[in-house]
Amino acid sequence: MKERKIAPYVYIFPTLLLVIVFVYIPIIQNFYFSFFKMSSYSTVKTFVGLKNYIRIFADDIFYTALINNTLYAIISLIFQVGIGLCLAMLLESSFVAPKLRTFFRSIYFIPSVISITVVALIFQFVYTPDIGILNGILKVIGLSKYTHAWLGDTKTAMYSIIAMSQWQYVGYIMMLFIVAIQKIPEDVYEAADIDGATGIQKAIFITIPQVKEMTLVTSVITVIGAFKVFTEVYVMTTGGPGTSTQVLGTYLYRSAFLNDEMGYASAIGVIIFFITSILSFIQIKISKSGKD
Amino acid sequence: MKRKGLMTIVLAACVAITSVFSGCSSKTADTSTKDNGKITIKFLHRWPMEPNKSFLDKVVADYEKANPNIKIDMQSVANDSYKEKIKVILGTADAPDVFFSWSGEFMYRFVRENKIYDLTSALNQDGWKDTLMESQLKPFTLNDKTYGIPYSVDGKVFFYNTKIFKDNGLEVPTTFDEFLKVCATLKSKGITPIAFGNQSPWACIHYIGTLNQKVVAEDVRAKDYAAATGEFTDPGYVEALKKYQQLIPYFNANSNAIKHDQARISFVNGKCAMMYCETQEVGEVEKLQASDFQWSMFKFPDVTDGKGDQTKLTGAPEGFVISANTKHPKEAIAFLKYLTGKEVGLEEVKDTGILNGMKDIYNTSNADSKVIEAAKIINTSKDIVQWLDTDLNAQVANEYLSDTQLLTGGNITPEAMMQKIQKVAKQVKSGTN
Amino acid sequence: MNKKKYFLASKVLINIVLFILILIVLYPLYWTIINSLKTNNELFASPFSIPHKLNFSNYISAWNQGLSQYFLNSVYVSVVAIGITVFLSALCAYGLTQFDIKGKNVIFMIVLGGLMLSPEVALVSLYKILQTLHLYNTRWAMIIPYIAFKLPFCVFLMRSYFISFPKDMEEAATIDGCNSFQVFYKIIVPISLPIFASTAIMDALFVWNEFTYALVFVEDKTIQTIPVGLMAFRDSLNTDWAVLLAGITIATLPMVILFLCMQKYFVKGLTSGAVKG
Repeated sequence: MKERKIAPYVYIFPTLLLVIVFVYIPIIQNFYFSFFKMSSYSTVKTFVGLKNYIRIFADDIFYTALINNTLYAIISLIFQVGIGLCLAMLLESSFVAPKLRTFFRSIYFIPSVISITVVALIFQFVYTPDIGILNGILKVIGLSKYTHAWLGDTKTAMYSIIAMSQWQYVGYIMMLFIVAIQKIPEDVYEAADIDGATGIQKAIFITIPQVKEMTLVTSVITVIGAFKVFTEVYVMTTGGPGTSTQVLGTYLYRSAFLNDEMGYASAIGVIIFFITSILSFIQIKISKSGKD
Repeated sequence: MKRKGLMTIVLAACVAITSVFSGCSSKTADTSTKDNGKITIKFLHRWPMEPNKSFLDKVVADYEKANPNIKIDMQSVANDSYKEKIKVILGTADAPDVFFSWSGEFMYRFVRENKIYDLTSALNQDGWKDTLMESQLKPFTLNDKTYGIPYSVDGKVFFYNTKIFKDNGLEVPTTFDEFLKVCATLKSKGITPIAFGNQSPWACIHYIGTLNQKVVAEDVRAKDYAAATGEFTDPGYVEALKKYQQLIPYFNANSNAIKHDQARISFVNGKCAMMYCETQEVGEVEKLQASDFQWSMFKFPDVTDGKGDQTKLTGAPEGFVISANTKHPKEAIAFLKYLTGKEVGLEEVKDTGILNGMKDIYNTSNADSKVIEAAKIINTSKDIVQWLDTDLNAQVANEYLSDTQLLTGGNITPEAMMQKIQKVAKQVKSGTN
Repeated sequence: MNKKKYFLASKVLINIVLFILILIVLYPLYWTIINSLKTNNELFASPFSIPHKLNFSNYISAWNQGLSQYFLNSVYVSVVAIGITVFLSALCAYGLTQFDIKGKNVIFMIVLGGLMLSPEVALVSLYKILQTLHLYNTRWAMIIPYIAFKLPFCVFLMRSYFISFPKDMEEAATIDGCNSFQVFYKIIVPISLPIFASTAIMDALFVWNEFTYALVFVEDKTIQTIPVGLMAFRDSLNTDWAVLLAGITIATLPMVILFLCMQKYFVKGLTSGAVKG
């Protein structure tokens, strides 16, 4: 009996320890560092109070990054959630033969199991000006005047990176919606059929409301993901050309390890923390309420 | 299925447990360890690609054979990542014993934080110092103490296709205006004048560094490049950017999307007539070129109305330093001496076309005509000027780097760009006070 | 009749659109593969044509130039991290749900709170912590943060599964004289295999792709994983793109094949948690 009193604490302990030491403490330390000026290889740090934060709010690059992350979030919402949902509805509808459904689903999903670095490298080949796929296709279909140095032009670089993300994740979100749609009980549709509803009416008035929870969840995942972006940008452009593709994650890295300003990087980290934790909090609330 | 699943879990647990033990042993491994009496020297350089990679592999193998009690643990990180990586590594206790460094401010910042071993006394022993070129040791010296040894002596020059020049009746330009005329002629004949890849923005920085040096007066520039006094308000800086802008129409298209190495290919296959390259690249061009490719080099033309010193050459030695925390300073110094010495140097010229910092390192037997040409240019330059991005403190350098891509793409004016640089310089200045 | 025609027309149109999407998804992958089989010169000369000869030397080159190392390291790191994560989160969830301990809700909230904290924020501090612990530049520099950051979510998953277990199930075992750990692996584990599988798969997606920590915390090429290794690979190859593409293919194929074989579990894993990051 005694064993049962101690045992659970033993089971919980490793997890609790790991989470506190490697998640909580670094975050708290990060707050602490944000009030200092230091570099990665320096032996001393100088206290500067709120100077880092004051600088952030006057920093053009910070705002560029913030805007880029927001752009990422909005476009991802439209494509991943919006088109993901449409694709899911189509694949679960009578428009698509049941035999073809698994085929379409699997293929659309494949990009999301590929490593981000690989996708970024492949898309560098898609976007490269001379032998790239995108320019090649444009030339073939007669739109060669639209060919571009997609990653070399400040106007198109960020959108090119965001487009690559959509290619990678639309299938993933679509899959989530498919499962949600499959959970909708048949009789709801049957009732609608009896009332003489058309396919589109069923989609709008039944399917969409029924997957409301999944829509909320996928929206939050997508938006949080958009603010955590690092790899895609780092591999493709490291924030260039100029600073047009900087996002909060890459700017943090650059400040810490390129500009020798770890304190400033920590301050950026604090801001990312606030944004993502608020979004995560919302997500947990939604998931919990759904489960109850 | 149940049994299979259970097996997987047991397997995973076993792996986890055994790895805890193997992890423990690697955890306690030291940076330089004594393994069966052998001393391990950690060595980091910036050439994971050919031809330098194979060359350094050979150097290390030869050294290990001649010194059986030494083991060299060699790693390499490519150029662009190296600049960040080394900062990450130097912040840990894991710094390599011998590692690559650019000279100038790049190295100075680490010296100030006591991360680099002082080689002054070692150099004064056995006449080591006298075997090296003094001009190449200077950029590795701070406050009369020397911290690094040159491995590659470098200068930035224009490589040019002599056949294209001959076919179009062009002479090597000696002034900037003549240069622009040459470019205009080439362009009118449908030939791309200059190959240029600026995806890694240091390519543009090299141009701007040279122009800054030729346009702005020396003392003004020295004051501005120092973090504590930098202001960049001299109109010469804007002028330098404007001169760079005059070159833009003569670059190949999409330069911001192409890497320097890619652009070099179009020079070597004759698509572009010229390219601003480092003399270090001679070996790389010779590896790529077709046998009938005729080319030569000339110095960046003089800017006749510029206030700077027109005889200086942009370029800086690159070399190796020793970590201040090394556990085996004697062995590290011995390896460093070998790495940058005559024996290796003679092979280095032959295999990679790179000249090291030793005096009299090349002759007709080990260096081809191009390397000798390059060496002549370097030796006849009164003095060298550092690369802009390794000569400035990190923040101003990075501001310059990102803005040059905007400038090249036509997204910013020279005046606006200098304003941004002035703002950062001000911040840095107030930070150091 | 009209309705039927309209339906048929829509059907055709929709299927055409879907097939175009298939092309958009597959073409870059197809391009990668066919070009990995060309020589570098052929690639630059005609990037869209089918290779003249199937040039497998690129693959051998890629494998020898370090790709094998990156691949094995990724597998090692993934298996260890996932194994420990699943094990610890199951144990923790077990402790939280099957026992009556004081403060279990508080503890759960603390663990769950870890979900809100994003890895990038901790980058600078973790870098310093790992140094102090002398873990920098070891495989553990990646494995431990991966475990720590995924535990909250995995505990959340496991707990919601365990919490539905009837109490009398283990009471029977306890009467038989089993201690709590025996109850765990004799009773709880066998019936939890589906959730273990789902958790493992969700975790795999994260661990296999993780880049930032692998980039900053590990320097040694011999222990580097695929995401960062591929970047170093790209740098060392300079413009030898055909070999790079071969390397990319090698790095990608296993996951794709694994997915195609285990689709059912992938989908199950997604729906139990529905979290991407």
